[in-house]
Amino acid sequence: MMNEFLEQFLIESRDLVAQGTDDLMALAENPNDRERLDSAFRAFHTLKGAAGIVEFGAMMRTLHAAEDILASLRSSEEPINPDTLDEFLTCLDVTSRWLDAMQSTGEAPSTAEADADDMIVRLMGSGGAAEVSPASAPRDDAWIERLSIVAGNHFTGHRTALRYIPSSDAFFQGPDPMNVVAALPHPMIIDVVLSDPTISLESMSTFSCNLEIVALMEASGEQVRAALLNAPGKVEVRELASTVISPSEEVRATARTLIEAQLLLLQESDVDGLVGRQASAGRTAVNALLYLGRSELAANVERAIATTNDENSPDILIAAVEQALSGIGQPEPPNNSSRSSPVAPRALRVDMDRIDALVKLTGELIVVKNAIGHTAKLFQENEDPRVIMATLRTQHALFERLATELQNAVLRIRVLPLRSAFRRFPRLIREIAGSVGKTVRLIIEGESTEADATIVDALFEPLLHVLRNAVDHGIESPERRASAGKSAMGTLILRARRDADTVKIEVEDDGGGIDVDRVRAVACARGIATAETLAAMTDAEALGLVFAVGFSTASTVSNLSGRGVGMDSVRTAVERLGGQVTLESQPGIGTRVGLVIPFSLMMTRVMTVEVAGQAFGLPLDNVVETAIVPRDRIVPIGAGRAFVLRDQTVPLIDLADTLGIQHTDRLCPDQAKVVVALAAGQIGAIEVDRLGERMDVMLTPMEGLLNGMKGVSGTTLLGDGRVLIVLDVQEILS
Amino acid sequence: MTIVLHDASTIRLIGTCPADDGEVLLQHLLANPQAEVDWRGCESAHAAVIQVILVSRRSLRGPPAGSFLERLIDPALRRGGCQVPPSPRAPEVRER
Repeated sequence: MMNEFLEQFLIESRDLVAQGTDDLMALAENPNDRERLDSAFRAFHTLKGAAGIVEFGAMMRTLHAAEDILASLRSSEEPINPDTLDEFLTCLDVTSRWLDAMQSTGEAPSTAEADADDMIVRLMGSGGAAEVSPASAPRDDAWIERLSIVAGNHFTGHRTALRYIPSSDAFFQGPDPMNVVAALPHPMIIDVVLSDPTISLESMSTFSCNLEIVALMEASGEQVRAALLNAPGKVEVRELASTVISPSEEVRATARTLIEAQLLLLQESDVDGLVGRQASAGRTAVNALLYLGRSELAANVERAIATTNDENSPDILIAAVEQALSGIGQPEPPNNSSRSSPVAPRALRVDMDRIDALVKLTGELIVVKNAIGHTAKLFQENEDPRVIMATLRTQHALFERLATELQNAVLRIRVLPLRSAFRRFPRLIREIAGSVGKTVRLIIEGESTEADATIVDALFEPLLHVLRNAVDHGIESPERRASAGKSAMGTLILRARRDADTVKIEVEDDGGGIDVDRVRAVACARGIATAETLAAMTDAEALGLVFAVGFSTASTVSNLSGRGVGMDSVRTAVERLGGQVTLESQPGIGTRVGLVIPFSLMMTRVMTVEVAGQAFGLPLDNVVETAIVPRDRIVPIGAGRAFVLRDQTVPLIDLADTLGIQHTDRLCPDQAKVVVALAAGQIGAIEVDRLGERMDVMLTPMEGLLNGMKGVSGTTLLGDGRVLIVLDVQEILS
Repeated sequence: MTIVLHDASTIRLIGTCPADDGEVLLQHLLANPQAEVDWRGCESAHAAVIQVILVSRRSLRGPPAGSFLERLIDPALRRGGCQVPPSPRAPEVRER
């Protein structure tokens, strides 16, 4: 359960991460911008403070380390090294991930400590480290790693690791740190090092403690903490059962050899004392697996030992060990909790001006309310109906204007600039390009274009996918670009603009374009369309096939785009937002992916239609045109019906039949009224009894039991109080 | 007396060494740059003393008498750079 306190922390932290990212990006452009550096420092500092308030230790020490480096950069005159900036940005990314996890689970992720260790090491290695004073920053946060090396094969199972840095006055204040350490529960390994290794006998002070003690204990974290209650200094306790230390390749190889040896032992069946040998070989294998952190494989072998003991045959155990052996090579099963989908933001920061506008409108609405009361009184006093009617008309007009303004003002509260989704791209693109050996520059235009907060949030993933595709498959390798007479550096343009009620976003690359013939070949090979269908398709239509489910043109699956999601996921995501995706490509010149998204999710323009005396709404975005078709031109095709509209065959669906409503008699028996609609690139016509009017509605999504209802996208109230069901054209047509 | 300069080449730690011994040990070490530390008679040592040994990286003749020191701290100091003395002499624990 998330409390208000935590919610506030998340909002504030996200703002600070955004601020910090902006500052760092600006610094990347202009490394001498001291103001931005100061601002970035403040953002990190405040973030650290916020982490302290919610007692998020990992986040605190990570940001503390970053802050220290930033502080030293502030006091130096040198321009900032881009690598250092990258590490700061990564640090904010890591923080952002932690915040996401906190938002969905309400608590800090279990991996945070390990992430923090990595991040601090990276920050320390990024160049600013020399200026950092050892007292204020954790010098070496690879202490767990160090401990694991020292501890060797003790370092597995349910252990607790401790890092204890006594405060500098610990020798003469409080208990002797050695006594503290001696009192630790079940210590297995203790390592004592100097927290500042540069001190010498000549320079040292015997009154100031400069020790860092790490220990491994066979005890619970609680017991360890209890033993350190009165110890002054910095204490870090980590239970190793939850933090799986990823073993090095070398260790992995040793463990593998060990398990293989047990397998050989088991296979020598004609040995005396077989049962005892089986059990001990099995146990050795289990230990090796546990050491590798593969508890799930170890459990399997353990079960097999039990069965083998009962049946006195080594086969089961041999099979289990063999399976485990092949399992070591496989990646560990993914942790599902960390992949849960991001939660939409539950809280929003709103500009004060927008709230003021609402307050003003409320005032005006009250005036109108009073005026209507006055009119009612006039009516009661038998005033001339014509006068009353005129007054009511005026008041209605006024009321309408205010309602529209109020609606707009409310929608504007939910509006965010796209910048908040775009700002992470430049760095991600740089990283992605670097990993495939390309140089790409990303130009962003129209980042101040606004859209509903939900849309801005939901756009990040599909856009990242499109951009990633462009870098990975669109932009050619520098050599190929050079031979094609292009500059070695690829250009990606991410462009956004507001167009009436929609937001248009384009991703344009100057790469090699899409090879339509290859698209056709792949589509045919993957069974997406038959050869005849493909031959009949125009190039533009064939290009659209890349959005088909199961399509991916890259012949080698790279670690970027080959994540089991293709352009079809982009289309699904965009259509879920009520938008559309288009694709244009010119061989040798480049590719352009266009996204058209509604400005707001809340307002929908619908057209009403009627079947069997019941009104339904069709989203106007899907409606191409309305037509009256003579029945003799409607021909049965297969199980359905179709007609030809301007040389195009359009399948016809009867809305009443589709919705399972009893037909009333047709008003015009020889003509059909149809709405021609387009959804997911598919055209179709829907037959209705009557065509109604257009209106703007606030769509209420279906909730509870009706949530999963097919063919319905939501409901709204009509002026006369009836409920209008708005249909999902895509589901109706499919 | 818990820190004793046995001769110019050996500084002995005997019994329970308190925090103040850190300074005494440091002075002995500074005055005798070649001396090794012999803590075979040491039952326990304050962290301040351990720190001086660690900074010195001198040869350390062990094992110490105290079991905690022997089992856990002596190996840590070895890892920290305190060598076993090159020529093990005959054990000559002799009180002054």
